[in-house]
Amino acid sequence: MKYYLLAILYCVINIANSQQNCTHILSGNVHDFHDGSPMSGATIYIETFNTYTTTSINGDFTINNLCNGTVTLVVSHIGCKTKRVDIQVNSNTSYEINMEHHTEALNEVQINSNGTTRLTRTAQETQLKTKALERFSAFSLGDALNQISGVSSINTGSTIIKPIINGLHSSRITTITNGVRLQDQEWGIEHAPSVDINAADQISVVKGSASLAYGGDAIGGIIITRPANPVLKDTLYGKTIFGGSSNGKGFNVNTRINKNYESGWFSQLQASYKKNGDFKAPDYNLTNTGLNAKALSARFGKKLFESGFEVYYSFLDNEIGILGASHVGSAFDLERAINSGTPVLVKDFSYKINEPKQDITHHLLKGSYFKRFKKFGKVNLQYDYQNNQRFEFDVRIGDRRLIPAVDLKLQTHSLLADVKLDANLNRKINFGIMTRYQNNFANPNTGVRRLIPDYDKYDFGTYSTIQMRLHSDLIVDAGLRYDFNRIDAKKFYRKSRWRERGYNTDFSNIIIKETPTQFLTNPIFNYHNISVSTGLNYSFYKNHKIIVNYSLTSRPPNASELFSDGLHHSASRFEIGDIRFNKEVSNRASLSYAYSQSKFNFLVETFYNRLNNFIYLRPLDFIKTIRGPFALWEYQQTNAELFGLDFTSTYHFNDSLLWQNKTAFIKGYDLNTNLPLIDIPAFNTENEIVYNNAAWFDFSASLKSDWIFEQNEYPNFNFDIENRLNGEMITIDISSPPPAYHVLHFYSEATFGLGKHTHLNVGLGVNNIFNTSYRNYLNRLRFFADDLGRNITLQLTLNY
Amino acid sequence: MNTQKQNFKTMKTNYLNLNFMKTTKVFASALLCLTLFTSCSDDDDNPTEVLEEELITNVTLTFTNNANAEDVVVLSSVAPDGQDGESTENVTGSFTTGATYALTLGLAAEDEDVLNEDIIPEADEHFFVYAVNGINLTMTRDNDDEMGPDENKLGVKTTWIAGESSTGNLQISLIHEPETVDDSNGFGSATGGSEDINITFTGVTIN
Repeated sequence: MKYYLLAILYCVINIANSQQNCTHILSGNVHDFHDGSPMSGATIYIETFNTYTTTSINGDFTINNLCNGTVTLVVSHIGCKTKRVDIQVNSNTSYEINMEHHTEALNEVQINSNGTTRLTRTAQETQLKTKALERFSAFSLGDALNQISGVSSINTGSTIIKPIINGLHSSRITTITNGVRLQDQEWGIEHAPSVDINAADQISVVKGSASLAYGGDAIGGIIITRPANPVLKDTLYGKTIFGGSSNGKGFNVNTRINKNYESGWFSQLQASYKKNGDFKAPDYNLTNTGLNAKALSARFGKKLFESGFEVYYSFLDNEIGILGASHVGSAFDLERAINSGTPVLVKDFSYKINEPKQDITHHLLKGSYFKRFKKFGKVNLQYDYQNNQRFEFDVRIGDRRLIPAVDLKLQTHSLLADVKLDANLNRKINFGIMTRYQNNFANPNTGVRRLIPDYDKYDFGTYSTIQMRLHSDLIVDAGLRYDFNRIDAKKFYRKSRWRERGYNTDFSNIIIKETPTQFLTNPIFNYHNISVSTGLNYSFYKNHKIIVNYSLTSRPPNASELFSDGLHHSASRFEIGDIRFNKEVSNRASLSYAYSQSKFNFLVETFYNRLNNFIYLRPLDFIKTIRGPFALWEYQQTNAELFGLDFTSTYHFNDSLLWQNKTAFIKGYDLNTNLPLIDIPAFNTENEIVYNNAAWFDFSASLKSDWIFEQNEYPNFNFDIENRLNGEMITIDISSPPPAYHVLHFYSEATFGLGKHTHLNVGLGVNNIFNTSYRNYLNRLRFFADDLGRNITLQLTLNY
Repeated sequence: MNTQKQNFKTMKTNYLNLNFMKTTKVFASALLCLTLFTSCSDDDDNPTEVLEEELITNVTLTFTNNANAEDVVVLSSVAPDGQDGESTENVTGSFTTGATYALTLGLAAEDEDVLNEDIIPEADEHFFVYAVNGINLTMTRDNDDEMGPDENKLGVKTTWIAGESSTGNLQISLIHEPETVDDSNGFGSATGGSEDINITFTGVTIN
């Protein structure tokens, strides 16, 4: 019977077809891809007939009187990407159209009212966009992040800039570049992040660890850099930046080319080169502070709304000169350098980079794939490999000057799977797992005992976060993460050190080999960490917003804190780790209040961070060596607290004139000794007046004042050593912070159209206008020389 | 009527599944690689021991009386762990008032002669500075001393004269890459650079 009916139907259709009867009906339904809900009021343009229709409250539409053939519909809806579909009609046809939220597709994350993308809704997050980043093309990631209130940096000279977020740095900050967690020996205080700022299109900084998907050990914060999102359009575009700077006679070139296709294929190639010679302080040259930096990144893939993949590769090679005057021997040398007030080594300008210097190369390769499932969400898979090679060359005698004193190769493989359930836009769930294997190889050919031993490290992490919109003005979120870390090291200990540390009583079972002077040991440590984060985001009376967050985070001690054992040049000290350390645990609560109005807006971010088993370095003893006396700095564990307030406000006098203030205040204390913590940024306030005139080639000019106060709360770690020649006691003042300083900067730019899609931006800046001499408490070379003098920069940015 | 839609859907799903499978394969191989890497590094290869190359383990100052080869004063410093380990100093013999001594320097890393193999070949980057306190010793740099930075004598060949009976301290330092040096007074002085050695011998006596 069924077949009979079908046969009849077939005949009817065939007859209809043969008669070219234009009576077919196309009935359709428009749905939201995410949750399958019907979309009412969507506009449907029937290209074939040049007519319009709209969908009903149920998302339904009907088009009558269609002939055999193809019907082209263009469907649009507010907030969605316009969709074009070709439908073959040979009979009465029904068709289902799934619409995607355009903004969601572009950013993968929520969009707030200002149109900026956010990772989480309850974290203290700040973003830097393309425009803000382009100005720092000639500088580093750390320099760019310094623009954010509450973010500062700990520097080694002017080219090694390590970000500090709310007083914490190094291993306590996680850096994510294009979805990959950077593994670049970040434990070292003079190891700058291996990131070329030119490869980033957008940078987010999250204070604290509220974003658990990226790791559970980011006690200080998370830095996320992202490349530009591909656009679904057949297009070829690019950008080239040329820059020059007077101080250091530096120049930089960066160029980027993007090719995109409407089919979703995209590719991008980017390369940059920076070079400068010796920088200059107002009164003298900073000999051996040159930089030679090369970077390259390439990516291609296919990105559609429903699925996509990406292959990404980046390479970076930085050769960095370290201020020659900072190479000191014994504590006497350090004392002479501190008290002389000027660097002991000053030579004529040169581009040559001598020892001491660093040479770092970093390769990163990533492959990722995602697929969206209707009424479910998005699944993302990623594999990445990183290879970080660090050479540090010291001032050495004889042929050995060509051999690095530090030669570390760190290789990391990571595998990630992440699922985002966003079928219900009011309740988003995210969960995933991460596995990582890492191998560190310390080359023994340096002829210097290894700073960090050879080790294998295994990490496993799993997390789940949920974000709920309880009300149109109220969002709450919560997250839970578990991490397992295992470090399996092979370390040589000199027998004298082994006994001095008392390891012979506690760790005799880990000795696997004995040589005349050293023990080879095999320490294996496992750490289990639980991280929690929860918060809420509440908007009220239209202009007000409150964000509250609490997070619990644990960080296992890093290789340096566990195993350090050796002389640190430029600090003139021995640094000794401790294998007895436990993980560091942070409880951080934060509260933000934002007020925004057309003319005036401000943001106050406060936090309190309680750290248990906080690891830090302090001088505790001396060692009398053949080179004179040296201070012995030992890693210690204590309980500590940090609290602070970051303030950002903007006032628009009129359309063309605005004033902006950024102020940060932070305190940190060691709760066991009641001493202030070392290296805490002093109170600082930045005021800027910006004038802009869009009608005049988008001209803008700004004057910025940076006022850094003297840090009056610091631990007094000064020590006295005896000059055994005459019995005199000499005080080594390594603690006293430099006085407050104030510097003024100027920047102006204008953009000129050179064609339909081509425009040229010219930027002229003067840093430290009055050539003020100053030293920064957070510059590790402050003992030896002043900071940079006046620097005039010119930058041409060509977009095409 | 619905077949068309169905077909379309199936096709689409197939395509996506294929894609998915391909990717799964890629990830599976990546995982395999990961496992391989892990297992490779798991073999029993222990790291090799690094014996510090730069260590100066022994510094010896041998003063010999020009008139009496039996009258010898030896100041020695021994640091078994090299430059980053504890050092111990030892003084044997005492100077004789009025006598003139020639100083023979010895700098060694275990059995390697650092003075002759590294320092003298790079004499223009090094400079020895001496100092005394409480002991009546005077010194001059010999005419045939090695030439150090900027036409100054390096300070490896020196002559010492012992004065009145006294007891005090003697210091020797070796400056690497000094900025300026001055040998006009025999003890010498320098600015800048870093100290490769700085040793003070206490309780040196003239009888």
